[in-house]
Amino acid sequence: MRNLIQAAAALALFIGAATAAMAHAHLDHASPAVGSTVSPAPSEVVLWFSEMLEPAFSSVEVRDGNGAAVQAGKPRVDPRQRTQMRVPLKHLAPGTYKVLWRVLSVDTHRSQGNFSFTVGR
Amino acid sequence: MSCRMAKLAQCGAATVFIIMSSAAQSHEIVGNRSFPATLAVDDPGVSDELAFPAFSSFRTGDDPSVRQHDISGEFSKRITEDFAVSFGTAWSRIHAPGGPMMTGASGFQNLETAFKYRLFKNPEQEFVMSVGLGIEWGGSGAQDVGAERHNTYTPTIYFGKGFGDLAASLNFARPFAVTGQIGYAIPGSRLAINTDPDTGDVDIETNPGVLVWGGSLQYSMPYLKSSVVDLGLPEFFNRLIPIVELALQTPVTSTVNSGTVTTGTINPGFLWVADSYQIGVEAIIPVNHQSGTGVGAIAQLHFFLDDIFPNSIGRPIFGNGINMGRPAFGR
Repeated sequence: MRNLIQAAAALALFIGAATAAMAHAHLDHASPAVGSTVSPAPSEVVLWFSEMLEPAFSSVEVRDGNGAAVQAGKPRVDPRQRTQMRVPLKHLAPGTYKVLWRVLSVDTHRSQGNFSFTVGR
Repeated sequence: MSCRMAKLAQCGAATVFIIMSSAAQSHEIVGNRSFPATLAVDDPGVSDELAFPAFSSFRTGDDPSVRQHDISGEFSKRITEDFAVSFGTAWSRIHAPGGPMMTGASGFQNLETAFKYRLFKNPEQEFVMSVGLGIEWGGSGAQDVGAERHNTYTPTIYFGKGFGDLAASLNFARPFAVTGQIGYAIPGSRLAINTDPDTGDVDIETNPGVLVWGGSLQYSMPYLKSSVVDLGLPEFFNRLIPIVELALQTPVTSTVNSGTVTTGTINPGFLWVADSYQIGVEAIIPVNHQSGTGVGAIAQLHFFLDDIFPNSIGRPIFGNGINMGRPAFGR
């Protein structure tokens, strides 16, 4: 019984460590939202991640239907809220755009992803 | 219980143990796709992970069928970014009338070691393939619960494919993914010699070569939310992965005693994936009466050590696995 209690306590500690752990940075949500249709055209794309990012090794691109980049400037990780990355956009015509992101979390995990949004007429 | 009956019970227990413990659990991130750790079959990933504990309860395919409970665990460690070794075993409790004396039995199954190497992965096509070699160390477990006395070597090929590259018109199918494995279990000894404790009769049987195969079909709600469409669902649902696993084995050589009937289980259930751990719950449905009777269940807690201890046991022993180059996107 004592061994069982010790094992349970060790497992509980481990679960506690796991709950508090940092991890791969996953996309939590975005603006414009993943898969959404928006109007008028957004002036920027903002991404919120599940972990803090390393700014020097994190980036985002936005491309139109022809594959041309439509950012108006460099992507930037918010220094006060390092889970957030944004990139300004040129004026977007109606159509579907693809957001491609690749980030490094502060605990050195790499992750990447992409999604689309549509600008309506 | 006669020697023959005891052996049947042992074989049944061993069969289910092989199915349950052959899943050297891990999770694998390939582009947008995260292949979760699966419970009945192995996924194609190479990772630092701990699967513990896993509880399962089912009725064996023996005659008469007996209830068996297992508690199992496995630890997987990356040696390099693409190569890992894992260790696992299970403790089994077989209820009466199982066991050599028909009064039930309990004990550890054989220790298993598995080596796995990731051959390649393609992030754009969400495709990954690995090869591995599993070794079951004969005699390291208790014969009363079906642990064999001979080693078994199982070279295996694993793959995973996500459907994120489907056309936009099939958007809601993009969270689907399949994984698969096919291996060949080679017994270290062709013959098994058993002596009946009651009569002293010697029984010689052949150990078959067994095709170990299966896979999973899964639908990733995390993928739906982050890559297809954010439906604004509660976070609980955004972390679910409904899944169906299929774990089978077919004796193909030296089948004089074993026969050639395919046995195994279909496991429908779900995984709930947090940032650094996951919980899996599945039903265990035998594919035929030789595989078991009734519906069993398995539940597992699984830790992603690379996320919990990124600077110590959660990283490869050789190489840090991090490409510090500036991010760049291919067309």
